[in-house]
Amino acid sequence: MKHQRPQKTSRRGKTVIGAALGIGIVAAGFAGVTANAVQAAEDGFGPVKPLKFNAKKAELGKRLFYDPRLSGDAALSCASCHDPEKGFSDGLALAKAYPGSDGFRNTPTLINTAKRAAWFHDGRLGTNLNDVTRESLTEDYSMNMDMRLMQERAKQDPVYVEMFKDAGFGEPSNGGIRNAIPEFLKTLISKGAPFDTGKMSKAATRGFELFKGKAACAQCHSGERFTDDAVHNTGVPNNPDIWKDPVRHTTYVAFAMFMGVENYMNVRRDVGAHIRTHKADGSDIGTFMTPSLRELKYTAPYMHNGMIKTLEEVVEFYNRGGGDDPNRDSKLKPLGLTSAEKGDLVAFLNALSGDKLNGDAYVWKKKFPSEYAVIENWRKARN
Amino acid sequence: MRFKSFLLAASAIVAAVALTSGAALAAGDPDKDAPLAKLGNPPIPADNPQTPAKIELGKLLFFDPRLGGDASTGCVQCHEPDQGWAFSDALSRGYPGTVHWRNSQTVINSGYLGKQFWAGSAGSAEKQAKSAATGAVAGNGESDVMEARLAFIPVYRKAFKEVFGDEWPKISNAWKAIASFERTLVQNDTPVDMYLAGDKKALNESQVRGMKLFNGKANCIECHNGALASDEKYYNLGVPPAERWNEDGLAQITFRYEQFAKGVTQEMYRKIKDDAGLYYRTKQKRDMGKFRTPPLRYTKYTAPYMHNGAFWDFEEVVQFYNAGGGSNDFTDGTMGKNKTTILKPLGLSEKEVADLVAFLEAFSGPEITMEKPKLPPYAPLPDVANAN
Repeated sequence: MKHQRPQKTSRRGKTVIGAALGIGIVAAGFAGVTANAVQAAEDGFGPVKPLKFNAKKAELGKRLFYDPRLSGDAALSCASCHDPEKGFSDGLALAKAYPGSDGFRNTPTLINTAKRAAWFHDGRLGTNLNDVTRESLTEDYSMNMDMRLMQERAKQDPVYVEMFKDAGFGEPSNGGIRNAIPEFLKTLISKGAPFDTGKMSKAATRGFELFKGKAACAQCHSGERFTDDAVHNTGVPNNPDIWKDPVRHTTYVAFAMFMGVENYMNVRRDVGAHIRTHKADGSDIGTFMTPSLRELKYTAPYMHNGMIKTLEEVVEFYNRGGGDDPNRDSKLKPLGLTSAEKGDLVAFLNALSGDKLNGDAYVWKKKFPSEYAVIENWRKARN
Repeated sequence: MRFKSFLLAASAIVAAVALTSGAALAAGDPDKDAPLAKLGNPPIPADNPQTPAKIELGKLLFFDPRLGGDASTGCVQCHEPDQGWAFSDALSRGYPGTVHWRNSQTVINSGYLGKQFWAGSAGSAEKQAKSAATGAVAGNGESDVMEARLAFIPVYRKAFKEVFGDEWPKISNAWKAIASFERTLVQNDTPVDMYLAGDKKALNESQVRGMKLFNGKANCIECHNGALASDEKYYNLGVPPAERWNEDGLAQITFRYEQFAKGVTQEMYRKIKDDAGLYYRTKQKRDMGKFRTPPLRYTKYTAPYMHNGAFWDFEEVVQFYNAGGGSNDFTDGTMGKNKTTILKPLGLSEKEVADLVAFLEAFSGPEITMEKPKLPPYAPLPDVANAN
């Protein structure tokens, strides 16, 4: 590993382990953890290993990702919210949504998304990116696309007819689209972060030690993407903009209605992963997936609802022991960090952002046709 | 939440009608043709009685584009009061980014019809409203998001509570209110109605001659009979396919989408090039290319005509029948030979054609106009204490 070898045990006597142990939970006093396990945990930190992908399928997926014809009104593409200039997020606290709706969560980065164990801030899809693609395309408040119509639009474009065939998908189809977009997403892998290239500043290097030690960030932010892929309640404050704006609120209501949230008309908070587990005592309310810490430089503001604007404020939030919530994860405690330590942590977090993925490999730069081509001699052509 | 599919009501009644209209026709008149008659009041379903408050709510909802996917496409966008409560193009406009594949029908007097849409795929006005609001090339709305929007419009909350007793507006009741409003869009005092009620001056001489032709030599009465001037049965007249499918990529997309959405076989999807109409409901080959006889009332304002808007004025329509109808893939043997045997060349003179056209105009009274109502705004909901 190019970065400095981490301490095995923090000053506070807590051994920090991560996803490499298969769990994202740590308690005090793991004095008996074997050296091998600690080594495994250490080895879990980056760089993010690239994924194999099929170049032709990924190229097709790239064009589809940037194509606005994949939404109901043919005006929004995946890239409308996942902008390569902003780390494949949108720079907003709360996402935009399909016309007539408005978002109630922060747009997550898609860099390294192909490595996630579960998707969306509540982790409601734990299968694969094919399902995530389907959900994002068809959901009424995201792209509102009837996939049968989407298929026929793709079939109408001679460029797609050629690309689908070349990629081995046969003729353009829903299934092909839902396979090609994930193939493109596999290409979005972090690279060039100072943490990975061994070019961390001294402050960042000190920050990494705090990260694993005194600040105990690595309890949840573990592994090459710095996430345990699990849900926690950190007490992030409610975002009042969701409830003040009737259009945002309608969008949340439509979501909550469909997800089976009880009494959804009288809820004024995002219940998070409660939609998955529906615990009767509500102890799962307000739990959200631990986000990756990679590419944060491009993806402010932070948290599932964009409530924290800067990394300095994020660090201060954890220094206080997280937010105010009866269900807050008991792992969060006030950290007592000095200002110098906080600065070091921020420097470390910044060292986890790499090169912008905005070159030709990641962006479809050719124009899309403004009209659908006519199929000539239509009456004789096979549909 | 999305994967929409059309529920196919392959009703026994439809099948029975189709049977009688095939075999028996060759032997002559298959059914007694109810004479043209003055139109009464529309039937009101027992489970959705009319009330003034419901009708008023339904009117607002009819004009409210928030009952559609992108909050820009409501009922009125394809049923414009100043376009005959229909849409003045061969194919209806469709949802943004699409074009529809059939001609938009007028809402006026639709409350009398037993089934809605050109092939009768909705059994009531209530079901028609929902189907149109959610179809991908029509309203493209989802029930949950549309229901959520209603809850944030205080005027609607109050009205749904009063009319339906809803704690929060239910989307199913929105369709009921819209249907109630539509049942008030009636025209039953046309020159034809007045003439049949005994006012012999209601029709001019040409129109009276036209009516005789209608009931006699031109045999329009065979299908355009009774008070609606429609038997509400299904026929293939040989209307040619929509020209736009040959020349517009957007229309070609929708055409294929409809085949996919309506669940035809893979083999048929590959080769079909025209709208198979009633077939999509029954999946019986004999129903290919059949559409419901449209009522002739209010047609003065609803050009172009036929299920795909093939004809732009009454004269074209009359000349089509004068020639004995036309031909399409479901009549010429390409996919079927379903042309109704009722149609024969009529041998009408120019003057007779003009008389028939004059009579057709008498099925419409004054244009029914309506100012678009001011729509009530959204408002935030009051704060509540969260349970957890």
